Amino acid sequence: MPTITIDGKQIEFKQGQTVIEVAYEAGVEIPHFCYHPKLSISGNCRVCLVEIEKMPKLAISCATLAGDGMVVHTNSAKTLEARNAVMEFILINHPLDCPICDEAGECKLQDYAYAHSRGESRFEEIKNRKEKRVQLGPRIKFDGDRCISCSRCIRFSDEIAKSNQLTFTNRGDKVTISTFPGESFDNPYSMNTVDICPVGALTNNDFRFKSRVWEMSFTDSICVGCARGCNTEIGVRNNEILRLTPRQNEEVNSFWMCDNGRLNTFKNVNAEDRIDGTFVRKEGQLQKVNWDEALEVAAKSLKEYKSGEIAFVGSAFATCEDNFVLAKLAKQLNIASVDFARHSVAGDQDDILIREDKTPNTAGAELVFTKTNGAKLEGIFRLIKEGKVKTLFVMEDDLGSINDEWEQALGMLDLLIVTATNSNKTTALADIVFPAASYAEKHGTFVNFQGRVQRIRPAVSLDEMDRALDGMNMSRWDKFGTKFDRWNQGHKYDAKPSWKILAQLSSHLGGKIKYEMAEEVFAEIANSVDAFKGLDYDEIGELGIQLKISEKVEK
Amino acid sequence: MTILETIIIALIKIVLIIVLMLLSVAYTVYFERKIAAWVQNRKGPNRVGWLGLLQPFADVFKLLLKEDIVPEKANKILHTLAPFIALFVSFATYAVITIGPAVEIFGYKINLVVADVNIGILYVLALTSLGVYGITFAGWSSGSKYSLLGGIRSSAQMISYEVSMGFSIAGVIMLSQSLSPMKIVDSQYGWMWNAVVQPIGFITFLVSAFAETNRLPFDLPEAEPELVGGYHTEYSSFKFAGFFLAEYANMIVASMMIVTLYLGGYQIPYIDKLGLNSTLLVFLQIGAFLLKVAFFMFFFIWVRWSLPRFRYDQLMDLGWKVMFPLSLLNLVWVALLIMIFGF
Amino acid sequence: MAEKKRLKNLTFLEKMYIPEIVKGLALTLKQMLSPSVTMQYPEVKFEPPASYRGRPVLVQETNGTERCVACGLCSRVCPALAIEVQAAETELEKERYPQKFEINMLRCIFCGFCEEVCPEEAIVMSKDYELVFQNRESAIYGKDKLLVPVDELKDRIDFLRKFKK
Repeated sequence: MPTITIDGKQIEFKQGQTVIEVAYEAGVEIPHFCYHPKLSISGNCRVCLVEIEKMPKLAISCATLAGDGMVVHTNSAKTLEARNAVMEFILINHPLDCPICDEAGECKLQDYAYAHSRGESRFEEIKNRKEKRVQLGPRIKFDGDRCISCSRCIRFSDEIAKSNQLTFTNRGDKVTISTFPGESFDNPYSMNTVDICPVGALTNNDFRFKSRVWEMSFTDSICVGCARGCNTEIGVRNNEILRLTPRQNEEVNSFWMCDNGRLNTFKNVNAEDRIDGTFVRKEGQLQKVNWDEALEVAAKSLKEYKSGEIAFVGSAFATCEDNFVLAKLAKQLNIASVDFARHSVAGDQDDILIREDKTPNTAGAELVFTKTNGAKLEGIFRLIKEGKVKTLFVMEDDLGSINDEWEQALGMLDLLIVTATNSNKTTALADIVFPAASYAEKHGTFVNFQGRVQRIRPAVSLDEMDRALDGMNMSRWDKFGTKFDRWNQGHKYDAKPSWKILAQLSSHLGGKIKYEMAEEVFAEIANSVDAFKGLDYDEIGELGIQLKISEKVEK
Repeated sequence: MTILETIIIALIKIVLIIVLMLLSVAYTVYFERKIAAWVQNRKGPNRVGWLGLLQPFADVFKLLLKEDIVPEKANKILHTLAPFIALFVSFATYAVITIGPAVEIFGYKINLVVADVNIGILYVLALTSLGVYGITFAGWSSGSKYSLLGGIRSSAQMISYEVSMGFSIAGVIMLSQSLSPMKIVDSQYGWMWNAVVQPIGFITFLVSAFAETNRLPFDLPEAEPELVGGYHTEYSSFKFAGFFLAEYANMIVASMMIVTLYLGGYQIPYIDKLGLNSTLLVFLQIGAFLLKVAFFMFFFIWVRWSLPRFRYDQLMDLGWKVMFPLSLLNLVWVALLIMIFGF
Repeated sequence: MAEKKRLKNLTFLEKMYIPEIVKGLALTLKQMLSPSVTMQYPEVKFEPPASYRGRPVLVQETNGTERCVACGLCSRVCPALAIEVQAAETELEKERYPQKFEINMLRCIFCGFCEEVCPEEAIVMSKDYELVFQNRESAIYGKDKLLVPVDELKDRIDFLRKFKK
């Protein structure tokens, strides 16, 4: 293997790698704006200049191929001088509007200016003004002043999103980004440009000015928008989700996620129609009761039916743990009819990230339910129509919205017990409604379409949780807030993860299903479901683990 | 004079003395606060009444309206008894203080003293020693470490300084050859004030008086930085007021004793030589007495706001190693006076 | 026991105490006779100098808008977490404005960090030291109470321009 020396470190590399890539892998940081590991090399920001021995001039590390025996200095006096000079050039026209810029706090220009520049400007001339608040696309605003023309967004639109919608216009210090005439930057992946923009030139319309980044806590999670299961980070302030951003996972989503997943998968968590507390139908109306009463009523009602008259419907929106405990409860009650609904949108798929299957855990639910051999969903539907199934337990799925027939069928039931996060057609028909924790409020695992098991973690606190005691990520506000601080009074919903509701229901029915943590449920899944054999909850970690079910894997 | 008349006159005197004493205590507190304020360039109480003159009454009402708290661990009987002992002792001392010469009112010859006992000084000494009990009981019965320490300090301090005080008084008694305050006053005719004749005795008595009244710089029993409130930490409301009253009453008694023993009591030197009207003379003499007392009251307060507190060992050192020998020296001096100059 | 070392050996007269006591008494007597410096508070009010750090307030421009752009730096720097800011977009040139700006005066410690960190000179310490409230809720000052016209804050702003780096 050829070796290169960077800052005195001997590093082996593969032929064809650039200096910055080798440095990156070895953990040596070289400042860069335009370089991005997933985009082509443009080499226009010049901030990654490094000194390479025996080369007459400094070279940009992003476009210089590593060669055997090369000796690179990333912090020599010459490099630093050059870097300072480059920073000074970039900052000539960059406005000092960090106070109003959303990028502040996660801005590379800010970081590098702090680390590598002079601290004050030597330019007395008036800064260039360009167009501000340009609506580049439906979801993105562009601020021309802040742009440092690194071209990352243009390259993203060309190479990753393959939509070729952005370009530079004008020359010299007038250069700016725009869409082609008459076009709008409406690509389904457009908002990734906000993430890769090294400054605050591109801003997220939805998140714009909502919160400073340092006020939020960030929790690793998984997007529930489709079966891809993009790795995400949930940004929470005052117990409310404000932002979803993708998290790098080369096996699943690389650096990206789609705009739909980014914008539309977290709004329901703090939505108006969120179910808060348990409800039981009394005199035709759903009325709020306490947990014990609801569980007691549910247990009593279920006991009135023979096991053949009951069917359970799990959910591809729920975690493996939820579905597993559902299956277990079904077994306890001798119920054979257990299945879940699939939610596919035919044709809504591309070869980047988006999948037809719009649920995060179809694969997981399938794996967990393999052992059941009663009626499948269609069969359950038929049995209801025939009046043979009189009782249905629906977990975290809106069967009533599948089609009108389903809604009708649900209406024919004697007893409908539902766990749900938000009000929907199913809960409207239900006799007992349990509030389920959303994906952002519980621990658990999802299995994506590749058969990769990935963990979700609570980012938003439920009524029964405590950020500190439950080891959730906390912002400074969370850490030091008291109940008297208005900024610490974000609503905490009175809900529980479905597996917990099911376990409690089981004990009300005289069963022995008892778990304290999602981790315990997973341990049992790992013991009893073949595909999960030998897995450890902690080992899944941040990036997930590929299950050994080869037939499902596709790239 | 019939017995009935004697009793009525005595009762009138007692009531008068008590009322006057309470009033004077109230206004001593007022002046204490005012002088403290002046020393510190402040204004002092000036909101209640004209120049804040009603402040003492406001203070009293406040104290009386407060909740009377008795700690759970306290000895209830002694806890209640203690402030009354302190109060009784300081009130009773007034009985033998002569504030002026005998006067004739409505044909009755009246001594301006409640009880002209011939062992008056002994009586005062006895009562002030009893005063220790009030404080010691308060400290012990509260069931609190601060109170206890305050009480112990107080008894140790009072016993120590009583020695030098007693010996100082002995000098006075040797000269006057009487234990009656009236005789003592008479013996200091003209400029023969004991303060002039035996200055060392005067100073030792003065210092001991400060210590006996627990005033700064000898207020160790209630040293706030160390003992919270000292022996009365656990007292509130009326009982606290009792101690408060006793402390200031003691101060007045001490001032009166100093004046009586060392500054010629009510006497104005050689005023009888002027041949003034006897009524006027009496009033002048009472005025002189009150003026002298007032000066010492002021002195007490003045010293309090000027000097820092002694450390406990310094206090004991001063008492036993300085004041006690000095008072003995004074005795020798007085003896010499009597032997050589035939006083 | 080892002899304690004193800072200064006392002279005989000093050891006598009495002259020293007389000196002390003379000093206090002198003070007694000098005039009092007390201000009769509710009637006479202390007019603080420009360097005084009273209640933090938001500067209101002459056109009625606040200078604040809701950058949240004051909120971040506040060691007592007294400040909460919620930004929103405005059509004005400054783009951002504080939709909500609240200072919890029970938390505020009047350190002036917010003023020091403010990039817009939008939050300054006023001369207002009379802060009274009867419950926790009313101790949280919103924009209605915080906005003070720029003219009234001229003293402090001049002071800041002179001394703030």
